[in-house]
Amino acid sequence: MALSPQDVRAIADYARIAVKDEELEELADYFNSMMDTLNLIKKYDIEDVEPTFHPIGGLVNVMREDEQGDSFTIEQTLKNAPEFEDRLFKVPTILGGDE
Amino acid sequence: MSIDFDALSAMDAAHLVKAGEVSAREMADAAFSNIEKRDGKVKAFLELSHDLAYEAADKIDQARSAGEELPLLAGVPVAFKDNMNLVGTHTTCASKMLEGYESTYTASCVENILNAGGLPLGKLNLDEFAFGSSTETSAFQTTHNPHDLERVPGGSSGGSAASVAAGEALLTLGSDTGGSIRQPAAFCGVVGFKPTYGMVSRYGVVAFASSLDQVGPFAKTVDDVAHAMQVLARKDPKDVTSQPGENDFLSHLHDGIEGKTIGIVRSMIEAKGVTDEVRYALNEAIQHLEDLGANLVDVELPHAESAMSAYYIIGPSEAFSNLSRFDAVRYGKRVMAANLNDTTALSRYEGFGPEVRRRILLGSYILSSEKYQELYYPAQKIRTLITKDYTEAFKTCDTLFMPCAPRAAFKFGEISDPTEMYLSDMFTVSINIAGNGGISVPLGMGKDTGLPLAGQLVCPAFKDAELLRVAHALEGCYEKVSVAQAVQEGE
Repeated sequence: MALSPQDVRAIADYARIAVKDEELEELADYFNSMMDTLNLIKKYDIEDVEPTFHPIGGLVNVMREDEQGDSFTIEQTLKNAPEFEDRLFKVPTILGGDE
Repeated sequence: MSIDFDALSAMDAAHLVKAGEVSAREMADAAFSNIEKRDGKVKAFLELSHDLAYEAADKIDQARSAGEELPLLAGVPVAFKDNMNLVGTHTTCASKMLEGYESTYTASCVENILNAGGLPLGKLNLDEFAFGSSTETSAFQTTHNPHDLERVPGGSSGGSAASVAAGEALLTLGSDTGGSIRQPAAFCGVVGFKPTYGMVSRYGVVAFASSLDQVGPFAKTVDDVAHAMQVLARKDPKDVTSQPGENDFLSHLHDGIEGKTIGIVRSMIEAKGVTDEVRYALNEAIQHLEDLGANLVDVELPHAESAMSAYYIIGPSEAFSNLSRFDAVRYGKRVMAANLNDTTALSRYEGFGPEVRRRILLGSYILSSEKYQELYYPAQKIRTLITKDYTEAFKTCDTLFMPCAPRAAFKFGEISDPTEMYLSDMFTVSINIAGNGGISVPLGMGKDTGLPLAGQLVCPAFKDAELLRVAHALEGCYEKVSVAQAVQEGE
């Protein structure tokens, strides 16, 4: 089933990306064209195939000694923050503007 | 002595510096002088790091005067794709989202090259967050193919390839998620190597799709690439996917390929979309491989056709997850709105360009519960089948030979439909899905376009040194890669 502009709006909300009304149509076209390509995988018989999520097989847990190493300083951590105060990131108001 | 910088490979430069014939400082001067003359046309660099380069050069010159042994890449002018962190530079991923972002630590791959004596010239342009095949999606500038300035350099590591082809840097690093090292190398006529997944640490490289991403080198020669790998391939405690692997890339590089078995993937060479001149060049290369004493066998990769679909399911899904970190709080662009949700959404709208937004949205959709069952989970099963194809193929041969890019570099704007652009990577993506190593080897200039063409050699996982040996032998059948003519006009 083809995706509608409203479907695209819902996907964008979930991905936390704003989208303008006039862009919805073109994005829906893109999605539908991509789906034609992606759906090609459905023609393979994969019923009894195990999935591979990662190219390195046989992964094992890696443990190390619990020793303190170097870590980022507060200055490094805050260096690229859009806004901060003392040693804290400043976050915009969470509830504001929704009334 | 005066340096004919354009004639130098990276290892030529290292030898001159080690022999004391040229100082590291003179080497940096020569590289920056070419950048000054040419990068206005090519636009490979997003940022130059003169101070870091001269600081590194002085260290080498002092060590030499003190009689110390110099490291492997001493005095080699190098540069890095701008998704790799280096303290003292910005790391922007060619995105407005990270405009002005200052690296707070240095990526392990960058550190390994610098510890080996590389002189860091600066940071190189790319498709925004490495999403693309032409470097046209960079938010900051358009990089031009040094062989024809009207054409794209390929992508996403377009700056890394163009810089070497233009005679600016002698060795560069790029990253490859679906062909982003091999395809631009092919378009720009240089060697580009994507090592086996896990061979090179990705710590400090901004992630695109974590189960596919791998870092690798660009240079004029396979010998340069092998020397770069000698310092890049190592286990890094900061990247759990990095493997101990083999680490002797040099001892057998020149041993030739007599008696080796090369699998030819005919179905790809004959595939629709491959231009006549590419097919002609590939067949010529096959003849060279035979003349070098290799045994040729035909091999099939029956599920290779499904790789594009699997790639555009897995890649965007992982990108959606990786790029969720750009929340306008800890770093990155912030555009204020009435509340936190709207601030995040608006910042991501203004910070990310259209292609990045498309891919994130696609990943967001594929990971919705219904599509996960329908597409994402089956794509991981397809990955098993693709990997098995390669395992089976390598039971009958040591190395595979196939196309790299289906055609020579295209003109700016020639491909405007994003889904058509994705076909640029039709022969490279399956190698990322399976995790094997692959290298783009220049095959001279096309008989129709006069532009650089390439073939691709692929190895079993962690047989990368063997792969470079085959690539080195094949490279010897062609004229030495030289700096692009078009970029030297008017000098």
